[in-house]
Amino acid sequence: MSGPSEVPQPAFPRQRRSSAASARFYSRGVSVCLAAPLVVALAIGFVYPVTRLVGLSFEGGSLEQYRRLVAEPLYLGVLASTVKVAVVVTIASLLLGFPVAYLMARLRHGIAMVVAACVFIPLWTSVLVRSYAWVVLLQRNGIVNTLLADAGITDGPMKLIYTQGAVIVAMTHVLMPFMILPIYSTLRTLPPDYNRAARNLGAGAFRAFISITLPLSLPGVFAGSVLCFVLALGFYITPALVGGPGSMLMATLIGQQTTVLLDWPFAAALSTVLLTVTLIFVFLFRKTLSLSKGLHSVH
Amino acid sequence: MISFPLRWTRAHRVVAASALSLLSWSSVSLATEQVVIASTGGAYDRALKAAWFDPFTKATGIKVVTVVATNAEMRAKVAAMVKTGNVTWDLYLDGEIQAASTAHKAVTEDLTDFCKQFAGRKDLGVNACAAGGALLQSTATLLAYRTGDGGPTPETWADMWDSKTFSGERAFPNFDDPWRVMAAALLADGVSRDELFPLDVERALKKLDEIRPAVSVWWKTGDQSVQGFRNGDYSIGQIWLTRAKAMQNEGLPIGWSYKASFLVGDRIALVKGAQNRDNALKLMAFWLNSPEAQAMACEVLSCTPPSTDAIALMSEDVRKTMPHANEVRDFMVVPDAEWINANAAQLLQRWNEWLR
Repeated sequence: MSGPSEVPQPAFPRQRRSSAASARFYSRGVSVCLAAPLVVALAIGFVYPVTRLVGLSFEGGSLEQYRRLVAEPLYLGVLASTVKVAVVVTIASLLLGFPVAYLMARLRHGIAMVVAACVFIPLWTSVLVRSYAWVVLLQRNGIVNTLLADAGITDGPMKLIYTQGAVIVAMTHVLMPFMILPIYSTLRTLPPDYNRAARNLGAGAFRAFISITLPLSLPGVFAGSVLCFVLALGFYITPALVGGPGSMLMATLIGQQTTVLLDWPFAAALSTVLLTVTLIFVFLFRKTLSLSKGLHSVH
Repeated sequence: MISFPLRWTRAHRVVAASALSLLSWSSVSLATEQVVIASTGGAYDRALKAAWFDPFTKATGIKVVTVVATNAEMRAKVAAMVKTGNVTWDLYLDGEIQAASTAHKAVTEDLTDFCKQFAGRKDLGVNACAAGGALLQSTATLLAYRTGDGGPTPETWADMWDSKTFSGERAFPNFDDPWRVMAAALLADGVSRDELFPLDVERALKKLDEIRPAVSVWWKTGDQSVQGFRNGDYSIGQIWLTRAKAMQNEGLPIGWSYKASFLVGDRIALVKGAQNRDNALKLMAFWLNSPEAQAMACEVLSCTPPSTDAIALMSEDVRKTMPHANEVRDFMVVPDAEWINANAAQLLQRWNEWLR
């Protein structure tokens, strides 16, 4: 993750030198030995089960599971709404998370640590706890409803919990750190000199942000967005706790097939479709990135 | 967050294998007899331990190891254990209806032979021991309502649909097992109890369309149904009797009607290939043979024990809130497990379509 390569950048070469240096330090054999444990762990713990899963969905060499999946409008409909929710959550996390990341990168060290703690502590807290916290906040006589009623904004309690809105709010909250951290790490590596140079050349604070900081932070923005989006596609606990009947997501359907109906081939087919859709979106993200100028370094 | 059942299976297999080797090593070295049972934990587990497991260990010297999981987890894990040949559980608890399904038969041992020993018992009903498992207890899913305004109280499912006479919002379960909501709708629509099964799904959903705007809670867990009632989210709901009784014990103004109720039970099932099969059978027989244990557990859990002798041992207070024999005879609906299981996938799919 670095800036456009034509700009001379004394701040970055350290990284590049280190990657070249490691190739010089370690022989091929040592490199293989070092990488082997992870590769083996991934092969056993990830590649093999996922292959089995995909294989299970084609049980008996037939496409029956997929035919069933396409024949019923329910499954593709839920898939579409899952993607929609993931997109909304990603955009919301970006809009709310970017200012926080910017603040963390620009504040003095001590205060930045406090802000960072506010981001990290929720990240370390269980998703279950955070989702339950929203139940407490949003329920009929919860804090939000009481506040609105006392302020005279609403007449009676509004229906906040068990709605699609509650799912989006809670998921945004849970996924926010995954957006903030990549953006923060990109912003932190931006030398303040660029901004200063822009200001020196007559740009206002806003203009400098729009034409210097924002474009250079895009690699972090895209990394955060992909992370949030992919995680949001597979959300299970949060929609189950704060969502209503209208907020049915793909993971809920997979869970039903796995644990209630024990129809694992069909669950595998649903999982495979979700996995494929996820991969397609990640691929499209990267395609878009490599097309935009100045973002070749995004991975 | 992302659930891949098979990755679980593999992971589980590794964990189970290592646990297994440890287990077999320790059981050889310590030579203790034991039996592993999975239950849903919490108050349920504590009551069973005090009334059933501890006296059993005292009487036989066999240690009872409990594992906590939700019913859905149990089903998935047991299926995985049997599929991979690493069976670490001996017994687990499952719903009456699930215990009659083909999927259940595939992973549990047929207990027909074991059940023969209870055939002559007068205190046990005919279904106290069945091929799918021994009966642990019975309870109901029924209509519960908020009391206290002095007006008429709802008694039937038709009353639940009658929003003119009975105002307030409604609650229904939505835990992937929709037959009881559909059945309530059909009964409210005038279908008689004898003609309820096979369920007329389309008619049920049409009737449910009428009440849908008034439904404020579609509960997924028993806890949600309790929390919703406490908060005043609904005033009439279809909930579990055990939860309704728990709320009554808390002092909440709640009443219920056995005229709008479904009989549901829990069964103890023996996993195929269980390592401590003999001990497991002993533990099951101990339950059915001890009315004292059943009475003690059901006293706490507000359930109906399989043995009528056990009911006689329970306190007057608890017996008062139990369904009377004539209520059971005239009103309680016993679900057609065979039909529900045969149509489970279809029911759930249609339900999902309607709900979203």
